[in-house]
Amino acid sequence: MSLHQLVIDAAARRPDAPAVSTPSGSLSYAELDAAADAIAARLGRHGVGRGDRVVLWAAKSPATVAAMQAVLRLGAAYVPVDGSTPPARVATIVRDCAAAVVLTTAEKISRISAELGEQVRYEDLDGPYDPAPAVNADTAPEDLAYILYTSGSTGVPKGVCLTHENARAFVDWACDVLAPEPEDRFANHAPFTFDLSVLDLYAAFRAGASVHLIPAELSFAPKQLVEFVHEQQITIWYSVPSALAVMMRHGGLLDRPAPDSLHTVLFAGEPFAIGQLRDLAAWTNARMMNLYGPTETNVCTYHVVRKEDLGRDRPVPIGVAASGDRVWVVRDDGIIATAGEEGELLVDGPTVMPGYWGHPPQRGPYSTGDIVKILADGTLDYVGRRDHMVKVRGHRVELGEVEAVLENHPGVAEAAAVTVGEGVDTRLVAFVAARPGADLGVLALRQHLAEHLPRYMVADEVRFLSPLPRNGNGKIDRTALAARAVPNLPTERPVR
Amino acid sequence: MTLDEVTPRIMKFISESFLEGDPKGELTETTPLLEWDVLNSMNSALLLNYLREELHVDVPLASINAANFRTVAAISLLVSGLTADSAEGV
Repeated sequence: MSLHQLVIDAAARRPDAPAVSTPSGSLSYAELDAAADAIAARLGRHGVGRGDRVVLWAAKSPATVAAMQAVLRLGAAYVPVDGSTPPARVATIVRDCAAAVVLTTAEKISRISAELGEQVRYEDLDGPYDPAPAVNADTAPEDLAYILYTSGSTGVPKGVCLTHENARAFVDWACDVLAPEPEDRFANHAPFTFDLSVLDLYAAFRAGASVHLIPAELSFAPKQLVEFVHEQQITIWYSVPSALAVMMRHGGLLDRPAPDSLHTVLFAGEPFAIGQLRDLAAWTNARMMNLYGPTETNVCTYHVVRKEDLGRDRPVPIGVAASGDRVWVVRDDGIIATAGEEGELLVDGPTVMPGYWGHPPQRGPYSTGDIVKILADGTLDYVGRRDHMVKVRGHRVELGEVEAVLENHPGVAEAAAVTVGEGVDTRLVAFVAARPGADLGVLALRQHLAEHLPRYMVADEVRFLSPLPRNGNGKIDRTALAARAVPNLPTERPVR
Repeated sequence: MTLDEVTPRIMKFISESFLEGDPKGELTETTPLLEWDVLNSMNSALLLNYLREELHVDVPLASINAANFRTVAAISLLVSGLTADSAEGV
């Protein structure tokens, strides 16, 4: 069954129930359904149909969610781009996926059309919407539902293609495990460009429950997030552990009793420091689960946190296979690992992507690049990465790509990026040596980064340092740079 | 606090906290802070913390959106409006 059938069915069953809510407005299922058809009619006038791509450049809002449904109802795939992304980067993505239409607000249409001209068509996302007939194009399981852009080499974006079958295998599995009720209230913390959001949106829709959107600007604001959980009476929370850590450390999450409504806490994207998880488990009786999977496979393993896990001295396991997938571990010597051994995690099954847009198709199992250990009971423990990829607040960051993009700037002689701090305190700091005579400013470099990289890869800080320190081999001394990049954190100031 | 009082404090906080002191003086009231990721998710949280600790302004949930945080001018307008509201409430 198609991904968009979930809202159509929920609107028939529970037309007046809340579907999508934000601090500044919400839509019932009937309203979401009508808005989706209305936006589909607008897109239909541009000839959007099965197999097309539509770039959706917008901040999180109920209208943005309706727009995703509209694109799917036409048999096309949506390509979400954060509303704050610079037009130059949006244009790169539009060209890469050969989008038929850019769907965005009126104000943004003038900006993106200045970049792209008549290469593509534009449609206005703003309401009010004219009533339109229901549309529900035929789709096959292997049709693309959405493309999520991650980073690629030297700042060229790379689109992870996901089909209706990929998405439904995950959503249906999540609903089997979570058994959400129509009264449930899902928090949506992750951006729509990040696959964590697929659970919040579509598990809610499958249950006829409501999803409560957290705008990007709010996503790491400690006090306000805590207030959000209480005020919106969230029952199912899903985020990177960093968001929960921020709420505990700086938002006073643990100072108030846990809301009775909260019954499930899901986390994914990075290891959750065991001490913090212990504190969280002492605060709430909610069941907790660790979900694992790269964007290319969505969630492929999961682990329900048990009491005995909290006594560990390391993060909880990533668990066992999920979403109908098969997972196994291959040792360095190419032999399949057994209990007690380590190796790279491989995934095969219904959630594995068909490939990156414009690249050769993904064939056979997907190699995650993650090293795991098989425990005695068969569950998997995350050990680390094969390569130099690092995680910043749940997003994977290739330091080499940040450096390559900086070095593409005409005023930059060389650049080195490092991460400092652990967990929620991780900061991405880029050091730049300017070319002699270059009149280079910090803001100009931030603009350059933002135009060429996904938001999460734009450094938290850019610093000038000439020359960059070198070790005895003549290589850039990253240890010295990391030591220089003294964290500049809110933790240093007491937060009341 | 009036807009004229708030704006320089916001400018100073952003340039010192996120722009290495802005040695080239590039930051203006209309620099697109969200678009250039000066205010990424973590830096937005640091700014909200500063507003609460130093300016004693708690920004309500419904006001935390891209329109209110896109530039120094927008943030200053929001903050001066909120301080005016709380002054009336006293």
